[in-house]
Amino acid sequence: MISRDVLLAMLPEHLVLLGIVLVLCLEIAGRWQRASLAVALACVGAAAIAAARLSFDGYSAAPFAGQFSVDPAALIAKAMVLALALPVLLMSRDDFDGGEFPALLLSSLYGVCLLQSADSFLTLFLGLEIMSLPVYALVLLAYRRPQSAEAALKYLVLGGTATAMFLMGASLLYGSSGSMAIETFSRALGSADNLARAALVLIILSFFLKAAIVPFHAWAPDAYEGASVPVTAYMATIIKAGVLLAVVRLFGDAILASPLLGLLAVLPLVSIVWGNLAAMRQQSFRRMIAYSSIAHAGYLFYAMLGDPAGRLQAVAFYVLAYGLLNLLAFAALPAAADDRERDRLDNLKGLFQRAPFAALMIGIAMLSLAGIPPFPGFVAKFLIFKNVIAAGHVTYAVLGLVGSYLGIYFYLRVIQLMFMSPDASVAAEGKAQRLALGASLACLAAATLVMVFPGWVLLRF
Amino acid sequence: MLDAGLLNAVLFLPLFGAALLLAAPAAHHDFTRRLTLGVMTLQFVLTAWLYLRFDSRTAGLQFETRLPWIADWGVYYQIGLDGYNVLLVLLTAFLAPLVVASAFTAITKDVKLFYAMVFLIQFAMMGTFVAQDLFLFYVFWETMLIPMFLLIGIWGGERRIYATLKFVLYTAFGSILMLAAVIYLVYSLQQTTGVISFAFADLVKARLPLDVQSWLLAAFALSFAIKVPMVPLHTWLPDAHVEAPTAGSVILAGVLLKMGTYGFMKLGFPLFPDATHLFTPVLMTLAVISIVYGACLALVQDDIKKIIAYSSISHLGYVMLGLLCLDLAGIQGAIIQMVSHGLVAAGLFLMVGMIYERCHTRELAAYGGLAKLLPVYSVFFMILTLASVGLPTTSGFTGEFLVLLGAFKAAWPLHVLGQSSLPLVLAVVAVTGVVLGALYMLRFALGFLYGASKAPHQPLSDLNGREKTILGLIVVAVFWLGLFPDGAMRKTELAAKAYQQLVSSSRLPEKRP
Repeated sequence: MISRDVLLAMLPEHLVLLGIVLVLCLEIAGRWQRASLAVALACVGAAAIAAARLSFDGYSAAPFAGQFSVDPAALIAKAMVLALALPVLLMSRDDFDGGEFPALLLSSLYGVCLLQSADSFLTLFLGLEIMSLPVYALVLLAYRRPQSAEAALKYLVLGGTATAMFLMGASLLYGSSGSMAIETFSRALGSADNLARAALVLIILSFFLKAAIVPFHAWAPDAYEGASVPVTAYMATIIKAGVLLAVVRLFGDAILASPLLGLLAVLPLVSIVWGNLAAMRQQSFRRMIAYSSIAHAGYLFYAMLGDPAGRLQAVAFYVLAYGLLNLLAFAALPAAADDRERDRLDNLKGLFQRAPFAALMIGIAMLSLAGIPPFPGFVAKFLIFKNVIAAGHVTYAVLGLVGSYLGIYFYLRVIQLMFMSPDASVAAEGKAQRLALGASLACLAAATLVMVFPGWVLLRF
Repeated sequence: MLDAGLLNAVLFLPLFGAALLLAAPAAHHDFTRRLTLGVMTLQFVLTAWLYLRFDSRTAGLQFETRLPWIADWGVYYQIGLDGYNVLLVLLTAFLAPLVVASAFTAITKDVKLFYAMVFLIQFAMMGTFVAQDLFLFYVFWETMLIPMFLLIGIWGGERRIYATLKFVLYTAFGSILMLAAVIYLVYSLQQTTGVISFAFADLVKARLPLDVQSWLLAAFALSFAIKVPMVPLHTWLPDAHVEAPTAGSVILAGVLLKMGTYGFMKLGFPLFPDATHLFTPVLMTLAVISIVYGACLALVQDDIKKIIAYSSISHLGYVMLGLLCLDLAGIQGAIIQMVSHGLVAAGLFLMVGMIYERCHTRELAAYGGLAKLLPVYSVFFMILTLASVGLPTTSGFTGEFLVLLGAFKAAWPLHVLGQSSLPLVLAVVAVTGVVLGALYMLRFALGFLYGASKAPHQPLSDLNGREKTILGLIVVAVFWLGLFPDGAMRKTELAAKAYQQLVSSSRLPEKRP
């Protein structure tokens, strides 16, 4: 029976692994490399469907007791993250031809899946590293630009710092509790032991670094700008989703109390404010999205202030809405011959005249990211702040909402450039992107469903 | 059942129309225009039918639909008509075809997008009025921002970007604090009664301590007062009006501003009666300041759009006064005044738009003696001016008279009993607003229609058939509300009584023995 559980519980992971192996085989064979994208799509799609099916059947198992377990909530989170990867793969066709992008992306996805099932710090660490390492290489894939090497190096060094902090924290925690299980984390939240407290702070800070919370955010704008569009989209959505869902798992059912409450409320609040303020001054689309993602990481950490029972729902729904609309914006971004020109915000001037569909898509994405109803971003933000207020942190909630108000301006600025400025494209037209169009339509359809039936989606988590 | 379906049809018709436009060919502007006009007219016909079917003897919701939306949080898709919204829904549906028709010649750039935005804002405004669930209300309330942002920003005047950003950032700030208040209110309701619900009907049962009520009312009031707008939160309005295209101004003045006063009437005051009682002196003073200050500003403007913009601030001050005095006549007057202002201001903005299309300037000094140059135009203009001043037989009279009557009726006993003379003083000051109103409108009309004949662009053609029809319909509505207000007042009477009762009764938490 155990072997059956190993097979079934890890079915999504196995399918992703199968995809990696097949893509690598194609690469070694040296032929049919263009098929690698299709193989990757098929495997990730199958993995997402498998995870969703298992979740709907109410499947839960612990094939490796104390290390790895699945339950319906974790499975649906996996299905969601895997499904979000499909548009990323679709839009990668325009930037990458060979098998290296799908192979690296799938490897990283494997790590993200592993994170959702981690029961011990060992698995958690494995998941984090498997998720992060391929991304350093992915950033470097746009090697035609000198910036990407710099961005990748910065990301690598700071990622390494996060890893070191995490390991240090985990070992301190082991020292104080004698166990590697992640429950030690939530138990330590209530303890007055200084060793445990130091461990908690180190671990939380490492996650802050991974999620780009102020003051650990400096890598994000450079990495986002240096990478090519699909990689930026991947970092902004799925990596963030993976990190935050792991944080939810780590916190378990612990109720936050001071002094850690202060750390988990103030730094995200500063992120919200600073991210939104800094985004106003950006001239590059990807840098702007980077600062926006810093602010969004702040909202996501806010969810930890809420009632433990509602955390996963809040984070998962937020990640879904935020991810879908972010991917929509990236997929609809008009193509250009030169990647750096494509990235300039000025390039969006008068876009509605040139490409009305793309302008509408990006406009919808911006409004949703700003949290303006009726778009899904609003319900997501509403849910997080509802939980924060219900937990009694009214002041933090009001401050966070005021911080989110600051963000409205720069999202509207994008709409203003697209709709209200005269057509002044700076970049030479690129080749048409059929697959990216498909990706944007898929994201739009999914976002519309989430918008019209938020209740149905919420019940899944 | 059929009627409930009809109300849903009224709500979703504009959204359906916007979808139709997506499919319409881009080059055929005339087709786009006619399609939009057709859909909006159909919406008005359906709304008028519902208005006639509306039973004035039933207190609760009529034509109600209630479906679970986010069942987990007690959020329902709940819409319906009651005495609060029935007249405003009719007004919204009535103005839409006129707005569409008025833009036939004025808008030549991005025609499809323009009408799509008009459809969307119509959908959002209708939704805000018919929503009976706070979550749904908030969603519609915020959705209005987006089409308005584009309407001003794309088709506006020279400083359109500044004006539209100011409008959105102003309004969004109010909304974001209201959102916090909404969440807190629902959470408190759940704490005290165990019911998790966003339905208006459940929320008015919430018993909250005075300090909580005050904070929540402050947050709601900030959002609504920006929309009304009340002095000192009015500075976005002149910019938005001046820069907006005619259609945008008409929507803004005709319907959008009523969202604020409707919000106060439907939510702000009834939800927090004790805090309302506490804040009444402040709010009433602000309302009267709005009346007088708006009128004074209108008196010195050179831009004809600005005159009407500032007059809106003044006229909506009466609505606030009527709602706050808690006298039945005053409340009903406030409701009539909302509709009346919607008609008159919309008509005046349409007329300014018509002259602007001919002469391309809004400077008052550039015009004179239009009575000779444009006789038909001048007749309509004079009628609307007199309605704005509040001449008996026009709708403006009914509204303002009832509001002032109510204000005095409520203030006199307080003065005689020696409790407070402030309401009486305020009512007296509010009357001077009527005089000031006559002054600025007649100064406007005098300079505009009489004196030496001049216009920046001659020869001028008088109104064409389309324009005459638009203005004719508005004038008919103005006289209908002025001569036969009882029909409309009967439909709103029960709601006014319910409002009076809700705001007058204390709803502090019961003291445990």
